[in-house]
Amino acid sequence: MGEDLVLDTAIRDWVLIPLSVVMVLIGILRYFVSKLMRSSSQLSDPKIIKEGQVVIRARNLRAGANFIPAKSFRARKFYYSNEENGLLYVPKGQAQNPQAQMFSDPNMAMDMMKKNLSMIIPQTLTFAWVNFFFSGFVAAKIPFPLTQRFRSMLQNGIDLSTVDVSYVSSRSWYFLNLFGLRGLFSLILGEENATDDTQRMMQMSGFGFDPSKSLGAEKDALDIIQHEWTLPKFEQRAGAVLRKLVY
Amino acid sequence: MVTRTEEEEVNRLENQVENGGGGAWEYLCLVHKLKLRRSDLVLKHGLSILNDSKKRSALGPEEWTLYEQVAVAAMDCQSLDVAKDCIKVLQKKFPGSKRVGRLEAMLLEARGLWSEAENAYSSLLEENPFDQVVHKRRAAMAKAQGNTSAAIDWLNKYLDLFMADHEAWRELAEIYVSLQMYKQSAFCYEELILSQPTVPLYHLAYADVLYTLGGLENLQMAKKYYASTIDLTGGKSTRALFGICLCTSAIAQLSKGRSKEDKESSELQSLSAMALEKDYKQRAPSNLSVLSSTLRSLKI
Repeated sequence: MGEDLVLDTAIRDWVLIPLSVVMVLIGILRYFVSKLMRSSSQLSDPKIIKEGQVVIRARNLRAGANFIPAKSFRARKFYYSNEENGLLYVPKGQAQNPQAQMFSDPNMAMDMMKKNLSMIIPQTLTFAWVNFFFSGFVAAKIPFPLTQRFRSMLQNGIDLSTVDVSYVSSRSWYFLNLFGLRGLFSLILGEENATDDTQRMMQMSGFGFDPSKSLGAEKDALDIIQHEWTLPKFEQRAGAVLRKLVY
Repeated sequence: MVTRTEEEEVNRLENQVENGGGGAWEYLCLVHKLKLRRSDLVLKHGLSILNDSKKRSALGPEEWTLYEQVAVAAMDCQSLDVAKDCIKVLQKKFPGSKRVGRLEAMLLEARGLWSEAENAYSSLLEENPFDQVVHKRRAAMAKAQGNTSAAIDWLNKYLDLFMADHEAWRELAEIYVSLQMYKQSAFCYEELILSQPTVPLYHLAYADVLYTLGGLENLQMAKKYYASTIDLTGGKSTRALFGICLCTSAIAQLSKGRSKEDKESSELQSLSAMALEKDYKQRAPSNLSVLSSTLRSLKI
């Protein structure tokens, strides 16, 4: 461990730089491919739109409840949460299972698959390519020492425990690029176009979003609201304002 | 809502542009962003950019949004030829686009070809039933033809789906007021107050509606909303001050004898009267005698 490893400049020219360039190019290519594949007809379900709007309106009611007279508030509350045809009331059992919804709507499943394919295929291909051509290289050295725990992150593919942790293997360099290029993409492709894998994964796991659940939550929140009309207070405040103005 | 700093920025740019100081593009962008209606200025300065090929190509892809903006402004100013030219350019660039189709339908509407415009809008809606702008245009068209009941129908249909759109609620409220359907209008204003509780305009309008409805309970509520308007505007709303005076005397007439909160309310009334007098003295001294006689007739 006493002496430093000397890295061949050819490694820099033929491994490190090509790898990064290829990752950037693939990212851009993927952006355009996914743009092409995005289904043009984005007709959404009127029910989903309506549910979203109902939730916004109910939230407004909750926030501004004290600004309208008690009678108006009670009428609205009933309108939202009565158990016959209230807007927020979701009958038990009718709540759609998102999984079932997915199968009932082939378009949705198709969309999902397209999204996933555009993510997974290039990723596997590049990984295989990196493995095939560049496995086992020590590609770079970071200029500061690190603890042993970083070994699995930085030296993936090199099974030597004697190499200093600050050396980065080519496979690890690939991973660093995969997750670290987001800032560059947002520069090249514009702010919101950045193809961010980590974010996509989050979206996938959040796919089971269920609008009826948010309706139910909103209904519960509305049920416990106590109405206390604030307007009578305003008369005193107006009096104070005017007094300041007049005298 | 347009904040005060934004308003100042707009006025500054407007002055600069009007006096030939440049910055026309920034002004147009700001107007577009804040959704202001300055059609004459947009038409004038937008056209001057579009007619200058060097300036136009400097915009890059923004050129097309400028064409759209100018087209809409031109229709608002009844310069239909200009609008037609703009739309033609857009048509060439984006054949088959729905957004351009919307502009064409609006041009038909501006020409007053109602049935053709109606057909164009319905076919647009068939392609995309959730196009909010087209829905609103339809209601506006019905209103422009003087067919208010149809406008109400369209708006109700629209609000059934897009019920969080407060602009539509406001339009509906104003239409109801014009038809003297005050109860319905009151509901709409309640909805507006819920969505933006600190906008004094809605409090004032709601109070007006309640006062017009009449009855002891409504008058008392109206007075409270006038009071909240005063609080929210810092006492600058003349209409609300008059409202307090009117409400208090109307309540006094209705509830002779049964006076619970009389003392406090008469204090608010005399305060508003004093504020009004002070305001008139400062801004319209010639009308002061009219004011004092009016206030006297209300027995203040």
